[in-house]
Amino acid sequence: MSYNNTALAQAAQARINALGIPKRNNELWSFFPVNKIPSVVSAESAANGTADSAAAEGCTVECADFGIAAETDIAALLPIAKSAPIMKKDFAAGETEMGLIKSRADFGHSVFKIQKNAKVSLEILDNKVEHEIAAERFDINVEEGAELEIFFANPANELPLQFRHFAIKQAAKSTVHFSNILQDAGIGRISIDVDLNGEGANFDYRSLSVLKGTASKHQRLTIRHNAPNTVSTQFARNLLDEKSYVSYDGSVIVGNGCSQVNSSQLVNSILLGDESSVSVKPVLKIYHDDVECTHGNTCGELDADQMFYLTSRGIPAETAKKMLMKSFAKELFLPLNDGPAKKRLLQVLASL
Amino acid sequence: MLSIKNLKASIEDGTQILKGINLEVKPGEVHAIMGPNGSGKSTLSKVIAGHPAYTVNDGVVELDGKNLLDMEICERANSGLFISTQYPTEIPGVNNVEFLKMALNSKRNFLGLPEMGDADFKKLCEEKMQLLEMDDRYRDRGVNEGYSGGEKKRNEILQMAILDPKVSFLDETDSGLDIDALRIVANGINHIMSPEKAVILVTHYQRLLDYIKPTYVHVLRHGKIILSGGPELALKLEEQGYDWIEEK
Repeated sequence: MSYNNTALAQAAQARINALGIPKRNNELWSFFPVNKIPSVVSAESAANGTADSAAAEGCTVECADFGIAAETDIAALLPIAKSAPIMKKDFAAGETEMGLIKSRADFGHSVFKIQKNAKVSLEILDNKVEHEIAAERFDINVEEGAELEIFFANPANELPLQFRHFAIKQAAKSTVHFSNILQDAGIGRISIDVDLNGEGANFDYRSLSVLKGTASKHQRLTIRHNAPNTVSTQFARNLLDEKSYVSYDGSVIVGNGCSQVNSSQLVNSILLGDESSVSVKPVLKIYHDDVECTHGNTCGELDADQMFYLTSRGIPAETAKKMLMKSFAKELFLPLNDGPAKKRLLQVLASL
Repeated sequence: MLSIKNLKASIEDGTQILKGINLEVKPGEVHAIMGPNGSGKSTLSKVIAGHPAYTVNDGVVELDGKNLLDMEICERANSGLFISTQYPTEIPGVNNVEFLKMALNSKRNFLGLPEMGDADFKKLCEEKMQLLEMDDRYRDRGVNEGYSGGEKKRNEILQMAILDPKVSFLDETDSGLDIDALRIVANGINHIMSPEKAVILVTHYQRLLDYIKPTYVHVLRHGKIILSGGPELALKLEEQGYDWIEEK
């Protein structure tokens, strides 16, 4: 099902106007080159001219469905403001499904409901981009006992600016495995809001950035543990060459009364270029005692002893370097269950 | 075959570790290098192999007439030099068998030979693993990942067997080995050894030399070879230590 909604688009644009262009001193945007944004968001509202289609299809989507009034992230608002066609799909309870997601325009908006006990694997492909920006929004509701793996690993379009925003709500005993490989040359921002609303919900995030040139990737995660016995894992690894840059802004919020929460965050970076850099900002807001929350961050170069060992066996230095990069990257995805995501991610790694 | 002349090398802070090593190794010979801790034995093998932590200040190291010191690390290996370090490095995520195949085919590329295919390599690998009484666990794991000390040493000799070097420099290959493993590793080295090849063993103990008969035994102390002799020298060192030796 695909339709436009003028009222929704106008509300989103109004919200963007009210928020104004983000500034670097805004915590959510502190790592992002915000000077790139004005040309996109200050353009005339794309909502103009969509009234007919909205009326024709009798759209019933309300602003409240996407929390527009409270939304603070322009990346989340842009697809709606630009009247991205909404792709809405319910995955039936108890069913097992695999799918590919590809937006057919610069802006995309997908709304998924993973019904009770369904098992779903979704690969996000690059959207068809005609201009210098892409923004996609995903609203995903994962019902009780459902399992979702969502991943993207294809070399993205060489875009100057790319946003992907995910709003994920998880019910009890649901599991989400979210994995990605970032390796394109543009500026990208992935923002992920996760609400672990039901007891036993589990969110697992694994991200690899293999960047060079002036590529710049920004990941912002906010994981809210709103129920007891919920688990979240964040594991990111970065291989950064030349002048590339990664920022990782990971927040974990554990609500009052949420016992036995387990949350971990680990970011490992290898700087291959003299001018490459990484910024990592863990934020833990914990309002309950009986929880286990960890965070860690390492940054260094390729291991000199490992390089020596490989080359001392006759392997040329460039090949040895690639072997070590791949081994560093592979450890991220090896723990994933065998399935489409693991297969695809390891396949992409092999071709790096 | 291997000729080391007046080799001097230092570490980053300028401290000189090797202070003029001279050693001539001919085909078919086994040389044992002994000496107190900190005398430069391990440094010698790493310097010859081209470890970046060391700076060569003087000297020449030739393998079949070619100066190894002018070569990249991988070129030294592909020219026929193999070193086994005292503490083999763990490389998690790099599969042991894939690594071995990559190393062998790098050497074959260097020598202008066609790469060895999967089937032939599997056969070669199985044959050498059998020689060293190694089981399939070595295939699936990362290079030296989670290996015991003895397993690491066995894996080193497996690499030596597959790469078939002209000169092997084995640094304390006997350390960390139990009695059975020592016998297996020593038998493996003897099996690989031939009249066209040479082995340099660094060891602290006679027990390895009970299995691998040295042609010469050298004492390295304070960065220099201060005494050379036949196999009987190792027995004397085992009995009397190093204090009786006078440095020139």
